[in-house]
Amino acid sequence: MAAGSLFLTQFNWSAFINALVLGLSIASIWLIAALGLTIIYGAAGVINMAHGELIMLGAYSTYTLQTSFGIPFLLCIPLSFLIVGAIGLLLERVLIRYLYKRPLDTMLATFGVSLVLIQGTRIIFGSSPKYVDVPEFLSGSLEIGFVNIATVRILIFVVTVAVCVALWFLFFRSRFGIQVRAVTQEKEMAASFGVNSGRVYMMTFALGAGLAGLAGAILCAMATVLPTMGGNYLVPSFLVVVVGGGALAGSVAAGVGTGELQSIFAYFTNDTFARFVLFILIVVFLRLRPQGLFAPSAKRR
Amino acid sequence: MNLFHNVRAQWLAYAVFFIVLALVPLFVGDDVFLLNQLSMYGVYAMLALGISLCWGFGGILNLGQGIPFGLGAYGMAMTMQMQTQDEYNPMPPFMLNNSLTELPWFWVPFGNTTVGIILSIAIPALFCAIFGWTMFRARVSGPFFAIMTLAMLSAIGTLFLGMQPYTNGANGLSPPRSLQLGELTVDPYSPGSYWVVFGLLLIATVIAKLMTLSRSGLVARSIRNDAERVRFLGYNVAAYETMIYTVSGIFAAVAGACMVVLSQYVSPDQFDPTFSLMMVVWAGIGGRMSLLAAMLGAFLIQGGQSYLGDELDATWYLFLGTFFILVVRFLPKGLVGLVESGLGRIRIGSKRNDGDSAASEVSLNPQPGA
Repeated sequence: MAAGSLFLTQFNWSAFINALVLGLSIASIWLIAALGLTIIYGAAGVINMAHGELIMLGAYSTYTLQTSFGIPFLLCIPLSFLIVGAIGLLLERVLIRYLYKRPLDTMLATFGVSLVLIQGTRIIFGSSPKYVDVPEFLSGSLEIGFVNIATVRILIFVVTVAVCVALWFLFFRSRFGIQVRAVTQEKEMAASFGVNSGRVYMMTFALGAGLAGLAGAILCAMATVLPTMGGNYLVPSFLVVVVGGGALAGSVAAGVGTGELQSIFAYFTNDTFARFVLFILIVVFLRLRPQGLFAPSAKRR
Repeated sequence: MNLFHNVRAQWLAYAVFFIVLALVPLFVGDDVFLLNQLSMYGVYAMLALGISLCWGFGGILNLGQGIPFGLGAYGMAMTMQMQTQDEYNPMPPFMLNNSLTELPWFWVPFGNTTVGIILSIAIPALFCAIFGWTMFRARVSGPFFAIMTLAMLSAIGTLFLGMQPYTNGANGLSPPRSLQLGELTVDPYSPGSYWVVFGLLLIATVIAKLMTLSRSGLVARSIRNDAERVRFLGYNVAAYETMIYTVSGIFAAVAGACMVVLSQYVSPDQFDPTFSLMMVVWAGIGGRMSLLAAMLGAFLIQGGQSYLGDELDATWYLFLGTFFILVVRFLPKGLVGLVESGLGRIRIGSKRNDGDSAASEVSLNPQPGA
């Protein structure tokens, strides 16, 4: 009892709540990085090892648009979505579409793509870090009660929520969404009902790549732009997809769960140890629930 | 019958491969640094061998081979570091700089060289057995397993990086003296250590080859082709997968230990995901289905990196990435696939089926004139 009350008196509530809010921010970062991966994996069964590099391309396209064409930061976000989406479309047409039947080989081929993208970027832009100018209101921080949070984190959170809602509408309220879900569940059957499955895969891949570009554009507001920056996002976003089971709702739940846990563990220990504990927990979790939180009704590939 | 699938021909190819490798130090002469570098290729080959066994034969794509490699390397580095400590000076200097007052408990066993060397192989093996059993029992397989190994690799890498007082963080360990085995000092720049590394590689290769030829190797290959069907036939798929994953992990641990003996240095870079992926690239380009081809792939890529890497400089990774994409796209069996189809055109008299190719593969690829 004495130990408990000691714990309560020493326990710093305001710092803990700050940690929870930070966890929500980490969750939104991991989630926005993982959304594109979720869609590509969920719909086409392709594991895109170059996803981190597509995020990196998004960051570099924002940097280029801003420094060479003077386009304001907020406008760069949708433009990066379009640019990287177009790159994804090209990638799908040239390479990925030949590998849908070989899921392990897509991992390898996309790893080759990531090597090419990193080195290509390094040749074009050099390996020195680049910084993106953000508008005045994004560089400060906001204080609500005893919670203190950087405005840029709020922006990322808001964009993540908006993108999730938009994706939900796209997948569950549009004709394209019905086609994607039909192809995901049963490709042959969907094809016999006149759905052009090749085209659906192509558009989903482009959409996923575009989302990576969007993530890169928004994340470079708080990260340094480097050719190797994609590596930082690859593992967390993979884990979000694996824990979530490849469904959109699963990724949202997994993103919030892992982000909060990371922040809470980090509050009690430190960042690296928190990450280690989190990964061990994920392994244990997968032992108990290998299909993830929300396995899609589709057949397992 | 394709000569490529003839087991006797395969053993002959292995024999030629190792005899050539054994003769190398006689031609290198006095350039001890070159010899040390060449010994390192034995380490790369051992890693590629593990990947080939695990991925080519077991169908388990393992992107976390760096885990047993790094653990083995750290184990050996700790052993070598402790050899330079004595009773007056019981702790490595970096611990004192990080204001530790006594040796951490997990460093203590490494004070004994024999125990240390055994532990540097046993700990990674135990890790692989536990992690593999956990994952395979849950029927995590294919891309999901690959992602989990990658995540585990990243987790352990951050742990070693983060535990500055115990592992010296990003600086890594650099034992000041070569490994002492009893009275003997292992000189990393001598032909002796070259032969030891390649001798270990030879042993590992023979073990791996015998495994693939054995009955359990046949089961492992069937699991690669259709795990569900093997499970219905009553085999314990998870046990076979764990076994093959663990053996491949032991190879990687031995490779890690050899690397530290040769380079006297280890750092969290051994846990870098790119390095583990590169091992998969070696096996993929050489040919994952063939142990020999995977090892040659490692020689080819690492050799290319050392020699072409300087000349091509920035474009080397661009070139490697493109080459790898083309191999995956057009040659799923790797470069050795060309040799296989080339030899397939040559008719030879023997009609004996030497059984290196699983029955399903034979029926899928009928050889003209066989």
